[in-house]
Parts: sequence; structure tokens; C-alpha cells
Amino acid sequence: MSGLTLATISHSFEARRVLDTVSLVIRPGELVALVGPSGCGKSTLAAIAGGILKPDEGRILRQYQSHGMVFQQSRLLPWANARDNIAYPLTLGKMTRAQITERTNAAAQAVALLPEDLDKRPAQLSGGMRARVAIARALVVEPEFLIFDEPFAALDPALRRRMQDLVLSLAEARGFGGLFITHDLTEAARLSHRIAVMDRQGKGILGSLTPPDTPRARSEAQIFDYTRNARNDPLLHDLVNVDERALALDCACDTLGFQRCC
Amino acid sequence: MMPILAARAALRFGPPALGIILFLAAWQAAHWHYGAFILPSPWQTLSAVFATLSSASGWAALGATFGRVGLALGLSGLIGGGLGLIAGYLWLIRATLAPVATILLGMPATAWVILTMIWFGPSHGSILFTITIVIGPILYIGTVDAVLTRDRRLEDMATSFGASRVARFHSIALRQILSSLGPVFGIALALGFKVAIMAELVTNVAGLGAQMARARAHMDIDMALANVALAVAGLVVIEHLVIRPFQTRLGQWKRGAA
Repeated sequence: MSGLTLATISHSFEARRVLDTVSLVIRPGELVALVGPSGCGKSTLAAIAGGILKPDEGRILRQYQSHGMVFQQSRLLPWANARDNIAYPLTLGKMTRAQITERTNAAAQAVALLPEDLDKRPAQLSGGMRARVAIARALVVEPEFLIFDEPFAALDPALRRRMQDLVLSLAEARGFGGLFITHDLTEAARLSHRIAVMDRQGKGILGSLTPPDTPRARSEAQIFDYTRNARNDPLLHDLVNVDERALALDCACDTLGFQRCC
Repeated sequence: MMPILAARAALRFGPPALGIILFLAAWQAAHWHYGAFILPSPWQTLSAVFATLSSASGWAALGATFGRVGLALGLSGLIGGGLGLIAGYLWLIRATLAPVATILLGMPATAWVILTMIWFGPSHGSILFTITIVIGPILYIGTVDAVLTRDRRLEDMATSFGASRVARFHSIALRQILSSLGPVFGIALALGFKVAIMAELVTNVAGLGAQMARARAHMDIDMALANVALAVAGLVVIEHLVIRPFQTRLGQWKRGAA
């Protein structure tokens, strides 16, 4: 079992209501992409799902033992090398040094990190390698559920594609379910079983779209056709047409509150 | 390989060496112009430094000043740094202490020297108090700023992996705070030396400042400059032996991340 249920979640930063009775059910083993325009509260919902924020109202039902989270801009410890970054979640528990080393090496291997890169600090790694380290850090806890908060938004298209392939192969190999936050419809169509569309003002999930086939079996042509057609879907009107200049400056995409906005 | 290493060494040490040579040359020129009574030459000053260091009283004075500064730095770190840490996390404490810190920072060091002399008399304790009260607010403000400017998104990351509040502070926040405090400790150390020497000079309590007061009374310009040189050299030595390694150990990653 690796499902997640977010029931009537509401959350405010100071006086501003960011999420208003948002409900989302992710079935065991299902990878759901959550899309919506910038500032609609996607990252706040991810932070609530990941246990970073406690919602003002609503319930969270986690049908799994452990989850991992991959963040936008990686959020690696800048003073630690890649190996220590990957091992970080394990150091919070009561594992022996040998167990930590074994699990760290396995996670690094799963994301195809080279042994020589493990001794480098984040500043010495490329964007793609930092993303791999962040994914390995999430995998090291052997999660049954993964939360991705726009993890590849800062990468160039080719690198983003490779990271998406990596996520797909890992999801297939390990069978974890997950929530993938993105505002890129193509990315959502490539990775997910289902695309949930969030209201531009965080007032719930407008609906869901289901791309053809399973993520791993989906062809490039299918993704291209699906994305092109989906752009005309009224559900995605705000995602496709919203003018970011019309959004309030104090957007709610940062869990620290809207004063430290992304 | 060797020429490359030599070129790197020349680039690293050349400019500072040139700066020192220029400074000594200007000093020597001024000595020639004004004479030894007004400004002894660098060589005369160096001889006076060696004379001071060859006597037990010279080492005692040096030890007294350094000991006071070290002790005061530790006390300030505990009180100013400790309060800064609490204030950084609790806005009510921060808001309450903000005007107090501003007032203490605005107080001239000389005013503290006079006040502590009246309160405690010319003693080791009064000098220690003066140094602590002058550098304490600097460490307080530095610590508050370090707490407030830390990257809290890293703590969010740790929370998502189930880190407790204590674990987040210990493994993430403290590391960032300490790395920001390196330069503040450097400033506090330099200021601590200045205040210590000034307080010793005014109170005439054993130390480099008291040696200077004696040199002034005897119009011994060689000895006065020797004590200045000793204070500066001591500061440089402590900076390189204590503060720089501290900064390197805890703040190296910031240079790499920039």
C-alpha cells in the first residue's frame, strides 16, 4: 500500500488563504502529476503532503511507512559532499555507520552517480548531477511514496528529459507511488498515470486528465499528440493562458510564506 | 610543474609582500625626515620588540593583554552569542533587545573605560568587563543576523525526512550560523585588542597598554612603538592561528557555493 489521501486541505499564510478545501486521492502505486499555474499553491500542497507544513484544516491519510521528497533547486547541504547529502536522512535515525554506507552506495548506484562524484560538494556538481543526488537522497530511505516538487524546473530540456527517464525507470523498478508537482504539461504527460489540475487560486482540484497507456509504455508520439490536444481542454485553460503578470507578487509557492517567494 | 608552482606562490605572496615593503619604506622615509626622537626606524622598533620579548615583564604584559582579550571574547561569545541565538529564533526577545543592543553599540568604548574605572576601580575585572560589554553587542547582532539569514529551506528538507527540531538545529541551522559568525569573531577580536590596550593605558593595569603608558611617561618612543608592533603582531598571529582556521573549517563551503 502506498497511497496518499489529502482531504479538504486548507492553509493560509498570515491572512492570505493559499489552499481552500483541496482534496486529492492518490491510489497505491499511482504517479499523479499536479499541474496548475505559478502561485496556485502546488508547492504548499506538496509541503503539506511531505509533512513540512501542517494544514490549518483538513486531514492527511498516508498509506505508507516512509516517503522521500525531491525539491526544486535540489536543496542539498552546501557544506557536505554528495555522499553525505545522500546519507543525510539516514543519519537522523538510529542506523549503524555500515548500514548507512551500504544504503547510500545503493542509492547512488540507482541514480547512476559516479563514485568520484560522491566526494564532490554541490557547488562542484552540474545541475543534472545535483538532481541525481537529490533523487538518491529521497531513495535512500527506501520510500514507498515519492513527492517531487518541480525538481527539474531549472534544468535544460535535454537534461530534464534524462531525469524524467530516470524517475520513470526507478518508479517501475521499485513500484512506488508519487505526487509530481509541475507546471510543464509535457512533463506531466510523460511521467504520470493521471494529471490533476489545480485551481489557479488554490480553491480545490478542478479535475483530472488521464493520458493514454502507462507512463513507461507511452510513446513520444502519444505524449506529443496528447499534450497538443490537452491544451484545448477547458480544465487546462488557466495553465495555458494565465498571465503571470496578473498574479499577486506575494505568491504562495514557498513554504516559508509569501514574503520569501520563489 | 615547478615554474607553475613558483608563479602561483608569487601571485599569492607577492602583492602582500610588496605592500609590507612599501609600508616599511614609507616608515623609513618618515624616520629620516622627522628623526629618531619623533619616529624610530623599523629596525630600532624591531630591536625594542626583541628587548621587550627578552624580559619576563614583557611576556607578562603580552600574556595579560592576550589573556584578557581571549577571556572577554569567550564571555562575549557565551553571553552575546547565546542571547543572539535565542533572539534570532524568538521575535519577542529580538524586539525587546533591539534598542538595548543599539544603545550598547552606540556607547563609545572610552565611556565604558571611564565608567568601569569608577565602578570597579582600576582592576583586571574592570578591563574584562569593558572588553566584554563593547564586543558582546557585536556578537549578539552578528548571531541574530546569522540566525535570520540562514537558508530555512534546508530545514524544510530535513523536516520532510522526519528530522526533529533539535536535529534540524544541530545538523543544519547551527552549521550555517557558525559559518556566518567567522568574520564577526574576527572583527570582535580586533576591536577587543584595541579596547584592551586603551583600557590598560587609562587604568594602568598590567598589559601592553600599561607598558605604553609607561613609555609615554618616559618619552620612550622606541618602547611605545614596540608595544604597538607587538599588539599588531599578536593580533595577526591570533587571527591566523584561531580565527582563519575557524572560518576555513566552517565557512569554506560558502566560497565554493558562491
